[in-house]
Amino acid sequence: MVISPVQYIAIPLMAAFLIPLFGKLNKDLARIIPGLVLLYLSYISVVLMNQIISSNTIIVEIIAGWRPPWGINLVFSPLTGFLASMFSMLGFVIWMYTYNFKPEVDNAQKQKFYVLFMMLITGATGIVLTGDIFNLFVFLEITAISAYSLTAFYRERDGAEAAFKYLLIGSFSSTLILLAILLLYTQVGTLNMAEIALKMPGVDPFMKGVILILFFVGFGIESELFPLNGWSPDVYTQAPGPIGAIFAGMVVKAGIYGLVRVVFTLFDVKEILPLLVIIGMITMAVAEVIALRQGKLKRMLAYSSIGQMGLVAVAFGIGTHDSVFAAIFLMFNHAIIKGMLFLSGTYLVYNSTEKTLDDVDGIGKHLPFTSFLFALGALAIVGMPPFAGFWSKLYLLMAAADVRLMTVIAIILVVSVIEIVYYFRVIHRIYFRERISTIELKIPSFNAKLAMFILAIIIVAVGVYPDLISGFIERATTDLLDKQSYIQSVLSVGLK
Amino acid sequence: MIKQFFVILILSIVGYFLVDAFFKVPFGEKRDNVGNYYIEKSPVDLKVSNSVTAIVVNYRGFDTLGEVTVLFLAATGLGSIMYRRKQKGEKEVRAKNPSSRIIQIGSQILFPMIILLGGYVFIHGHLSPGGGFQGGAIIATASLLMLISYRKFKVSHNAITWIESIAGVVFASLGFIGLVLGRTFLENFLPTGELNDLLSGGIIGIIYIAVGFKVASELTGVIDTVLLNNRPEAQKEN
Repeated sequence: MVISPVQYIAIPLMAAFLIPLFGKLNKDLARIIPGLVLLYLSYISVVLMNQIISSNTIIVEIIAGWRPPWGINLVFSPLTGFLASMFSMLGFVIWMYTYNFKPEVDNAQKQKFYVLFMMLITGATGIVLTGDIFNLFVFLEITAISAYSLTAFYRERDGAEAAFKYLLIGSFSSTLILLAILLLYTQVGTLNMAEIALKMPGVDPFMKGVILILFFVGFGIESELFPLNGWSPDVYTQAPGPIGAIFAGMVVKAGIYGLVRVVFTLFDVKEILPLLVIIGMITMAVAEVIALRQGKLKRMLAYSSIGQMGLVAVAFGIGTHDSVFAAIFLMFNHAIIKGMLFLSGTYLVYNSTEKTLDDVDGIGKHLPFTSFLFALGALAIVGMPPFAGFWSKLYLLMAAADVRLMTVIAIILVVSVIEIVYYFRVIHRIYFRERISTIELKIPSFNAKLAMFILAIIIVAVGVYPDLISGFIERATTDLLDKQSYIQSVLSVGLK
Repeated sequence: MIKQFFVILILSIVGYFLVDAFFKVPFGEKRDNVGNYYIEKSPVDLKVSNSVTAIVVNYRGFDTLGEVTVLFLAATGLGSIMYRRKQKGEKEVRAKNPSSRIIQIGSQILFPMIILLGGYVFIHGHLSPGGGFQGGAIIATASLLMLISYRKFKVSHNAITWIESIAGVVFASLGFIGLVLGRTFLENFLPTGELNDLLSGGIIGIIYIAVGFKVASELTGVIDTVLLNNRPEAQKEN
């Protein structure tokens, strides 16, 4: 079988249907299969990325034998391919971390966890890869349903409340997106994103406005933009630790991808970009100030995550080539760094019920490896050289300076100082306080340590040598901003 | 009070613009969209008289695979949220009170008929209104009827798992066979046959039967999980 992008979706789906059967044969198989699937997807990511970069084309795959606009198609371009590859590889690392995560959980529950875990990643990948707006909605639903269930996974926490809140807000978001797709279909008569983009100039401006606002609010909820992010702090706090890493690394990334795809490709309206900058700045400022006041580790990470998404929104909103480059770089950095913070932070407060900052006092002596990685992640996310976070922030500031947005630069810098304060406070607690808490510590298993270590290596490697990744991001930026070639490559596929 | 006022104000503004937008959509006029293509081509290309089925299972079959997965995840997620360790010697009871004789006998008569109707609806999905999702839902109502009328009626979770997994695997495998034999995932690789025949439409009929089994087993599982877990007082009675 030839390697093609549809395997990103089809293989995990097949595996998800098979897991309940394999679980009956052998209890461990249900845990191993997702890892094998994600490993294979990482492998095809390498092959496909090589293919599109060496031939300098976009892979458009038609499904069910109907070429666009009649059938559904998947688009593996430098941007979507980059994100899909990132999701698969990060997913594999997180799978490695979860393998022995909570041994006391019942096998029946573990099996369900791994099905939902794998589908959460598949849903996010599908959102990114699809070239059809309704298909995007279907994948959004797959992501959302797995996310709601995983939030409520632990019965002993208040996960149900957080999940219910998420369910209400998330369904609201899905409804708005569905209404937008409905209105869009009445206007352009097609669901294929390339053809929508082609027909968009002929649409009545009033309709265009209504549809764009519906999409904006819908995807804004998914990508944690202010004031639509009420669900996220609770969800991050209550969900299992590795799932927090997936939310930060993939789910909200897929949300912002949807927003950006709609704004840049489908509508191509530059008028809404300043709004994105303003909302991004408010998101960032509000979230970071609230993060400063948090007494619980995971809640603090959650608000920091919202703040970072605000930064990404600002970067996309500036809209120049350099700022979009910075935005995609920020997405990548935030995925790996916040992923590592969630993974290591989870072990710092593993057995604590309240998970407050007091629990990490003096933990550096007891869990030296995990504490060191958490500190490294904290330094990286605030943008200290020589870590990955430094470059993306620098590129963003330079891009903002190019278009003379001094207010934006000032706010980013002030917010960075706030970020430094609350992250350094945690580092101070870890290393320079005495441990008074009597909660038993959990030593990470070898595979969890390895997973965190891999992410740390990537953070340092990209920090020291950003050219490792900047070539891919440069292509992704060009791909996102070049609407015409996207339309042309999708609509010309399968023509004889 | 002031808060409610603002909520109503915002809702009416949003509502006004939404209603306005939807009223601007002309109703009942022939428009230029991909739907026309499906209506014209599905009897010719696919030999399927129910165009909705042709769209759902073939033109946009990938979406349906996604929707089937959504249902599967909803059932899995519900199972995970409602999960409870079984205590030793515990009797599982779904309905609180035994139903009257009339309901019990009535449901015995209705049960096979409902199953038959459900099967008919999904087997003829490409010929007449209905299909896998509808047929599956009909079959699930039959198990609901049995569960509420008999206290001792049991649904085998083992069987449900097998049916839903195999049905899902059949759907996905048909996709892969299309990828290997044709050129694309989910491609219709079987001969399409004659219009209005039971054996027509190639893989469409097979997929809808798989979907029917999957939906039926999943919804039955969902009903059973909810009935079982909704009643903590059921334990005290035993």
